[in-house]
Amino acid sequence: MKEIKKLFVALTIAMVSMMAMAVSCEQPEPEPEPEPVKEYNFDLFVCAVKHGGMSKNKNGTYVRSVPALTADQPRVEFTGKGIDITEDYTLESITKGKYYYQVPQKATGGFVKFHITKNAAGEETIVEDSEIPFKDNTYSARKYTHAWLADGKTLVIIGTANSAKQIIWTKIADSDAGMSILSEGTFDISVPTGFSAFSTSGLLTYRASDQKLYYFYLTKPKSGQSDATTSKTWIAIIDPTTMAVESNTEVPGDIMEETAGSAYGELMQNMIMYDEADNLYLSGLITVNGTEMGILRRIPAGQKTFDPSWNGFPNPEGKLLTIQYLGDGRALSYSQNNSLVEKLTIDSKVNFYSIINLSTGTRMRVKFDGTDLQYCGGRFSQRSVVVNGKAYIGVGGETEGEAEATYPTIYIYDCKTGSVEKGVELSKGFCFDIIRAMDAE
Amino acid sequence: MRFKRIWMSLVSLAGCVVPLLGQDSLSVKGALNDTLMLRNSTVTAQSREQKLREGAFAVGALNIRLQASTLQSLTQVIDKTAGIRIREEGGVGSEFDLSINGMSGNSIRYFLDGMPLDAKGTGMTLANLPVNIIDRVEIYKGVIPASFGSDALGGAVNIVTNRRTRNYLDFSYGIGSFHTHKADFSAQYTGKKTGIVIKPVLSASYSKNNYVMHDVKVRNEEHTAFVIKDLPRFHDDYLSLFGQLEAGVVNRSWTDAFFASASVSKIDKEIQTGATQDHVIGMAERHTEAVSVSARYEKTDFLTEGMQLMATVSQTWDHAQTIDTTYRRYYWDGTYINGSYSEIRGRGKTWRHYRRPLTVVRTNLNYRFAEGHDLALNYLLNRCGNQQTDAWDEDFEPTDDVLAKHILSLSYDQSLLAGRLNNTFFVKDYINHLTVGQDELPSTTGSDKVKGSNTQNYLGGGVGSRYLFLEELAVKGSYEHSVRLPISREVLGNGSTVYPNLTLKPEISDNFNLGLFGSFDLGGGHALSYEVNGFVRLVDNYIRATVSETESMMQYVNVAAVHIKGVDGEVRYDWAGKLHLAVNASYDDSRDMRKYTQAGDISITYKNRTPNRPWAWSNAEASYTFHNVGLRDSRLRLACDYQWVHWFYLTWEAFGSASSKSKVPTQHITNASLLYSWHGGRYNISLECTNLFDALAFDNYKLQKPGRAFFLKFRLFL
Repeated sequence: MKEIKKLFVALTIAMVSMMAMAVSCEQPEPEPEPEPVKEYNFDLFVCAVKHGGMSKNKNGTYVRSVPALTADQPRVEFTGKGIDITEDYTLESITKGKYYYQVPQKATGGFVKFHITKNAAGEETIVEDSEIPFKDNTYSARKYTHAWLADGKTLVIIGTANSAKQIIWTKIADSDAGMSILSEGTFDISVPTGFSAFSTSGLLTYRASDQKLYYFYLTKPKSGQSDATTSKTWIAIIDPTTMAVESNTEVPGDIMEETAGSAYGELMQNMIMYDEADNLYLSGLITVNGTEMGILRRIPAGQKTFDPSWNGFPNPEGKLLTIQYLGDGRALSYSQNNSLVEKLTIDSKVNFYSIINLSTGTRMRVKFDGTDLQYCGGRFSQRSVVVNGKAYIGVGGETEGEAEATYPTIYIYDCKTGSVEKGVELSKGFCFDIIRAMDAE
Repeated sequence: MRFKRIWMSLVSLAGCVVPLLGQDSLSVKGALNDTLMLRNSTVTAQSREQKLREGAFAVGALNIRLQASTLQSLTQVIDKTAGIRIREEGGVGSEFDLSINGMSGNSIRYFLDGMPLDAKGTGMTLANLPVNIIDRVEIYKGVIPASFGSDALGGAVNIVTNRRTRNYLDFSYGIGSFHTHKADFSAQYTGKKTGIVIKPVLSASYSKNNYVMHDVKVRNEEHTAFVIKDLPRFHDDYLSLFGQLEAGVVNRSWTDAFFASASVSKIDKEIQTGATQDHVIGMAERHTEAVSVSARYEKTDFLTEGMQLMATVSQTWDHAQTIDTTYRRYYWDGTYINGSYSEIRGRGKTWRHYRRPLTVVRTNLNYRFAEGHDLALNYLLNRCGNQQTDAWDEDFEPTDDVLAKHILSLSYDQSLLAGRLNNTFFVKDYINHLTVGQDELPSTTGSDKVKGSNTQNYLGGGVGSRYLFLEELAVKGSYEHSVRLPISREVLGNGSTVYPNLTLKPEISDNFNLGLFGSFDLGGGHALSYEVNGFVRLVDNYIRATVSETESMMQYVNVAAVHIKGVDGEVRYDWAGKLHLAVNASYDDSRDMRKYTQAGDISITYKNRTPNRPWAWSNAEASYTFHNVGLRDSRLRLACDYQWVHWFYLTWEAFGSASSKSKVPTQHITNASLLYSWHGGRYNISLECTNLFDALAFDNYKLQKPGRAFFLKFRLFL
């Protein structure tokens, strides 16, 4: 009897356990919280006749703000529409939320915050929200780099001074009430022997996981345009609270000779990105057989130096121009293919978009209907933006002295499925330079 | 012969017009016709200005001698001429840009007695030439006589100095608003025994230019925000000194005139703003010094009867410095912060020296092979060096660029049908040689693309014709296929606010003019004259100034094709040399006509109006002259003029919403003046008020011009 009782209890436990297991197996895993879909306006910057990046444009810079970039939207026209920002603001800007922050073209000696809205006539217009004068450290239009700190309300900008022999910084507080300068100073970093100048701005970024500012800069034997083989890249790690330089180390030349950009920070082009684990990625240059080629390096989370064994851009066809993280270990790159032209110029139509698999280092050109997106002109442009799980990629292949023969077009890449759909077109003839996703009002 | 004697007498009399003013038995009737009433008989002779207007070319001619007692600078009077527009960046001594029938200022060439004005130094311009030495100004619109040997595309301004034959002394001093002072002295002495003619000229002008700037941004007391204020300019002092001594002989067996001259000029200029007034400068300066020597020789019946030789040679040593050695960021209240970049260039500190040695050789050989038929062979050499060094920037590598132009022209003039029909035909050969040594900022200046030397050759030519139907109606037309080689400022920059563009191509243009003119003697001393001109300019590689997006610097760029069409007209009325009324209006329509891009698409700027240039403006003037007011042999002239300029866009008009576009606003400027002369013009005193209603005026985007200003001038003419 005792045996039967034991067997019964065991069977009961087993059945309950199996039932419990069955129940737990049937219960679906809780879905990860979907990212809330934010409402954006897309601000599209174009230039007449020639591209505007690196202050190349002499024919006007225009911006339209549209609610969507899908194919059902009307073609984006600039004739009689949009804002002519040519004389007041630069293409290059810091953005956050719905606001732009910049040292304006109009050179008032201050730092301005503005947003784009509609006026009573329904036309896009710029409203200046705040403008503050600099204190002792001053910055010229474009020639600075920036990072937002963890609170999202403190902006740090860095530039060079005194014939690019000093590196200066300014910390700016931003709120709905306006901006104010919190503090400013000069880093205790000297131009090393054998070099005469720093890069114009360098690249600044804030890494949340270790709460540090990473400042990538170059030392050059001569001021002005540089040669990768004679420059050195450095990393200064800065405590954002005290702005003290905690370390300042030279990057070995076989890892990176120069950063992909060093003059205008990331005011236009994205050259730094983070993944979910907070690995820091930096695009740069390295000389291969006498030619400057792109390279993508990584500072793993928890570390402060580049992983010398990792290169996310092997076998480059040319320079890596911009990089943006798409999620799930993939990134969108905009890079050059040197083999398409005999002599590469600033406006050669050789730039193309690829999806990089960061785990394997492989990359594939972005295709629509099985065909590669066309090569583009515009060495200095950023006509792609990643929001709401989608990458909006602008294609408009202009060359020096002429305008595009076809309509510049947005293609929409779904980060999850990898599918590509055609989006809105822009009016013909303009040089398409920037897409910015701004919070809708 | 009799007519010739009368004519010579009249010319001589016209030369003495100032002393003769106000005499009962003799009066002068305006600037158009020198009508001399000798007791009861009236003889009307054409002034040189009228003769020029009635030639085959489209030309404006201004008699400056009559206005020398009131003028502050030549730019003021030229700006009131039909078809002419002068855009000034600021006050006294500021840079200006002159356009003729829509062609930009740098398409225009300036001459002093037929020699390039640059030969007096790059600092000498219409704005600071002493007006007392000037007889008249000739403004050629579009088509330029071959005798200038010029590569001008849009026109030429020739300043003709006095050629008085008698001894004289001319002195004037003026004082005005914004601490402005001007003094001019000129004289002529002819040795009775030696026959040697000596002509000294001295001129000085100074201004603080501290006029009020309206609605400028400055920091509040805490330096935490900006406030808007009206504040005076504080770093715009201008000093100009010029001296010249000319000596020579006339009417010798071996020469009609031989003169040698030496001149020195010195210009000191503080710089107040960049390309817009938002960019405030408080320390940078520019200095220009020049020494020039020249000789000219004239001979009629040279080698053979009917052949005339005019030859001029000059050498100029021009030294300009731009001092930009401060890292400061100024505000309009004069305060500053220690900035990170230099004031002008927005880069490192520089103290740039520009040595621009200029050699000019000009020869004109005219041959009259039959009555009314003239052949002329002209040659002009213009060789300009551009040696740059830097006294501050150790990284700067000295450069040595050379821009040399050779222009050879042949012309044939004919006068038919008893002078009713005049024709002129000409061909020109332009040779441009550029040697580039500089390699700074190659991506901006293109120095990597044009390293070394290159020579280019261009051909041009044209025709002009005038037919006089009646005194009241004449028609003239002219055409020129012209080439305009870029000037050194456009190619090599100015070292401060203009970047070099070494890849700049010459402008090539087909210029057409068609005009009607005439005059009516209405009797009773009433006279009316009119002139209307239509023009077309078909320009390739049009050179346009742009404001670079970097540091408010300017740069000249080529626009592939520009067509300019327009019309200007003027009506003048005169009553007995007392009441004078004039009104003119100008309109031009300049369009980008590059239709296709290289990709075969229609260019977005095709048929767009060329941005950043005025296209409609008008002037009106009225004056009344009273005679014998207070003193014997005196006259009192009251004058008023008004200028209107239509607003224009800074960028291509088609793009962007109208409300967002930057504009240069409409101008309404009124000026008034009073001139009192006595003792037959020996003593003159004038009071002027410019911008009478203190209107806010801009010629250039965000570069405010002076407000109301007063100027008092005394002139002694012996």
